[in-house]
Amino acid sequence: MFALLRRYRDLLLVAALLVVPLGVFFANAKKASERSSLDRAVLWLTTPVERAVAWTVTGSLEAWHGYVALRHVREQNVELRHELTRLQVERQQLLSDRSEAERLRRLLSFEEAAPMRTYLGAKVIGVRLGPTGLQLVTIDRGSADGVARMMPVVVADGVVGRVHAVDGHAADVLVLTDRNSSIAVRVERTRARANVRGLGKPDACKLDYALRAEDVIEGDALVTSGTDGVFPGGLPVGRVTQLRKSANGLFQEGTVIPGVDVTRVEEVLVITSAERAPEALPAALAPGAAK
Amino acid sequence: MKPLAQVLLAVVLAGLQAALLHWLGGGAFSVSLLAPCIVYVGLHAGNVDGALAAAGIGFVLDVLAGTPKGLLTSLGVAVFLVARAAAAAVDIRGRSGFAVLSGLAALGLSSGALLLARYTALPEAAPGLTLLPRMLGEALLTCLVSLAVLPGMRRLDGLFHREEPGLLR
Repeated sequence: MFALLRRYRDLLLVAALLVVPLGVFFANAKKASERSSLDRAVLWLTTPVERAVAWTVTGSLEAWHGYVALRHVREQNVELRHELTRLQVERQQLLSDRSEAERLRRLLSFEEAAPMRTYLGAKVIGVRLGPTGLQLVTIDRGSADGVARMMPVVVADGVVGRVHAVDGHAADVLVLTDRNSSIAVRVERTRARANVRGLGKPDACKLDYALRAEDVIEGDALVTSGTDGVFPGGLPVGRVTQLRKSANGLFQEGTVIPGVDVTRVEEVLVITSAERAPEALPAALAPGAAK
Repeated sequence: MKPLAQVLLAVVLAGLQAALLHWLGGGAFSVSLLAPCIVYVGLHAGNVDGALAAAGIGFVLDVLAGTPKGLLTSLGVAVFLVARAAAAAVDIRGRSGFAVLSGLAALGLSSGALLLARYTALPEAAPGLTLLPRMLGEALLTCLVSLAVLPGMRRLDGLFHREEPGLLR
């Protein structure tokens, strides 16, 4: 028996390396994966490489832009001064409009307190948007900076995704185009509810669970509804396109073009807290009000 | 010792891949620098050493891709065996043969992962055939960049090569 085992030792070892991981995969395929210390060690080794490449590329670009590309700067400077003057006038106009809007808002008592979110800026240092696994981007902030799992990550154009895994000084962000990402949204025009689910490719998502009866048209802007427990409400997500209503079924189907091109994201903001000030109840409903 | 060094090189290449893809296209396309590593061990390493290295590289892929553990580890060993079988059937010595095999390995890894993930994932989260063009693009790019990985793997191999005294060369 032992002689037989010894004879086929190599073959058995290779077979075990093939079959055992497959068994582990089938056993754990439907569970959320947690990172072991070995996983963290592997990622700890890759992060410095990503940082080194980022440092080299940024340094080269800065050297290029700082020295080589400074021709015609004088003419550009004059043009930019003109542009600045025009923008300053526009800014004054906008400040005046905003002030008026603020006063009207107070008068109408729509909102007593402003949202009190805190943001943390981060740079993207790596992307993993391959078709094989999750659609991830790596940022240079981690648990040491106060980043935690499930925190929303945004840019000015809208939602980028949510924090999927965190290490000491880096974090992986699961982008909204990942197949496992599902964001509760509202149609900005009609407040109709739906979900935006990723398709696993960076340029499109799917409109999910939009009831047939709801008023949705192509070009509608989608914003987060704030009901999924991850994203605060009102953040832009994308625009509806290729809307289809089949002859039967509860829902209409469509494609969503994300507001954020995840392949061009350089700097992001992590929303580290999204608490809102408690809203005051209307006087008639306040505790102790006369019935 | 050699499989461990090959896995460490794979870790470095994985970090390099993530960073370079960020600067070159931001992830609009993808490439697998680790598939050529598996092909190389399939062509040049022994059965046990090669299988261990392939499993290690597959594990690195699993960790970095965020896939359920074991998926790419097992597929890595499978690709290693296929590369070994190909080497036994056809004489693959040139760079072009290595590049073609690397491209096919990348396609094998991604299509294998797609099929297994489709089999196990929830229907709404299962990967679809819409990923096929992206997988083919990845295979094509891997085919090209494998020529840059080959010298690195050869150099690493050379570090572990011992001259046998009296051997005529």
